[in-house]
Amino acid sequence: MIPLALLSQPESATLLWPAIVATLVISVMGAALSIFVVLKRLAFIGQGISHAGFGGVGVALILGVHTTSTMGSIGQLAIVVIFCVLAALWIAALTRAHKGRGDTAIGVVLSASMALGFVLFSIAESGHDLGAGSGHDDLEEVLFGSIRGTTETSAAIAIAVATAVMGATWLLRRRLIFWSFDEPVCDAFGLDSARVTNLFFVILALAIVMAMQIAGVVLAAAMLVLPGAAALNLSLRLRPAFIYAIAIALIGAGAGMVVGAEGHYPIGPSVVLAQSVIYLATLAAKSLRARLRS
Amino acid sequence: MPAVEIDHVSYAYPPRGFDSPSVPAIEEVNFAIEQSTKLGILGPNGGGKSTLIKLILGTLKPTAGAVRVFGHTPAKARRLGLIGYLPQRIEADRDWPINVGQVVGLAHAWRKNPWERLSTDDHDAIARALNLVEMQGLSDRPIGTLSGGQLQRVMIARAIAGSPKLLILDEPTVGVDIAGQQRFGELIETLHHELDLTVIVVSHDMRAIAAVADRVACLSQTLHFHDAPGGLTPAVLAEVFAHDVAGVFGDIHIDAHLAKDCACDHDAHADKHDGDTP
Repeated sequence: MIPLALLSQPESATLLWPAIVATLVISVMGAALSIFVVLKRLAFIGQGISHAGFGGVGVALILGVHTTSTMGSIGQLAIVVIFCVLAALWIAALTRAHKGRGDTAIGVVLSASMALGFVLFSIAESGHDLGAGSGHDDLEEVLFGSIRGTTETSAAIAIAVATAVMGATWLLRRRLIFWSFDEPVCDAFGLDSARVTNLFFVILALAIVMAMQIAGVVLAAAMLVLPGAAALNLSLRLRPAFIYAIAIALIGAGAGMVVGAEGHYPIGPSVVLAQSVIYLATLAAKSLRARLRS
Repeated sequence: MPAVEIDHVSYAYPPRGFDSPSVPAIEEVNFAIEQSTKLGILGPNGGGKSTLIKLILGTLKPTAGAVRVFGHTPAKARRLGLIGYLPQRIEADRDWPINVGQVVGLAHAWRKNPWERLSTDDHDAIARALNLVEMQGLSDRPIGTLSGGQLQRVMIARAIAGSPKLLILDEPTVGVDIAGQQRFGELIETLHHELDLTVIVVSHDMRAIAAVADRVACLSQTLHFHDAPGGLTPAVLAEVFAHDVAGVFGDIHIDAHLAKDCACDHDAHADKHDGDTP
């Protein structure tokens, strides 16, 4: 969709840089959280939260604050954030009520939000003349992401949210490590595990909403899983794993953007695909190393 | 001041569904645990032992009565780091990329300001805790490479690294042979002596209690016995376990060991608390 050669032309480069910067920043943010997501086995919870965003987009559409670009509307962003944060807190509460088994909660949130989103899209489509095919295009962008139309403002929002998310994660890092390593005893040691869970789920929801701008509802959670999963194939020490995760996320984002731009593929899925390939490569390297040592 | 005061405490688990009743776990339990004692709480499975521990830890709130730990509410006692805890099952993720020293330090490092690094004193406390559980030199070992026994010792080190005044051990010797139970008892005696700890050990296994405790209470929903004169008799045990278990425990010299400090009975404790403010 974005031929790479356009970057050499000043006027088109001005349009493309915000999208590139937003993609890289969001990728780094996803990597920073992905270690906790993988070690705490929250990948499926991430899917539940991201799919809740689809219901939010549907509401934004009905309220008339939806735009063709998922990065373009502040109103839509606010509604999706509210949906995802509430979904995250609801999943956290239901998971606690079911003694750590969150699968039912995720199943309910995920399917209800998708159903709501589709119904609201359908209502909006039948009530307004969206133009031939535009409703379908909107739906595809929401589901699989698009960096088309990313402005300097939306890139600045992405940078601000990513900075806040990474800052909060750093401030909470010791609590998060203790909680994700051994949650059942946290309360006995004075650490309020429910509060930590809620805080991390809110952080996760904000990060997922940002990732949705790149990879859409369906693939957003992958950006918060793949870098960490790949990094933990390379190191079983925490600090190197974080560094590897960030490097893998940046390489994946860079490769995905280049391949997507040159091949005229959608950028979000290309980034996720590139990160998936890196994950498979690290898995192969891990297996090879284990075989050589045995 | 007692280490723990259990003042006419009852707890019932709330109903789990529309068609299920609440489940009483313990009823009208009333006793005090003096500082620097090693109390064993013996009882059958489902007798309310773990519930009592959760009430002392403050992770459950009594439906009636009150619990005080060193004069504080359990929640405040936890916040002050007065309680060390070894859970029945170690559910920590052993695939975590974390080493022994980090695990021991973790339970207390979270209290520090995020911008503060662990101090020399913190590292000394971690080393001392590992030393006391005879795991010195393993600080850099990944947690996933430890045996079950080593992991338990690391978790005990984690429990004592913050210099608590009360150590709670929930079924610590499940699946451990008699020799292992004796070694565990010696370890707890060392910690008790070195750190002047009050120790509460909960178990359904009389041998585990005998290996660790010097006083005993029996709990099967209600408190059947606490330091009663005459020691743990077969009749008391039969009442607690609802079964004649004297033959099972026949090789344990309960009268000589467990009941040696029996000085007061349950009613005496009840009288003592009648005038206390919860």
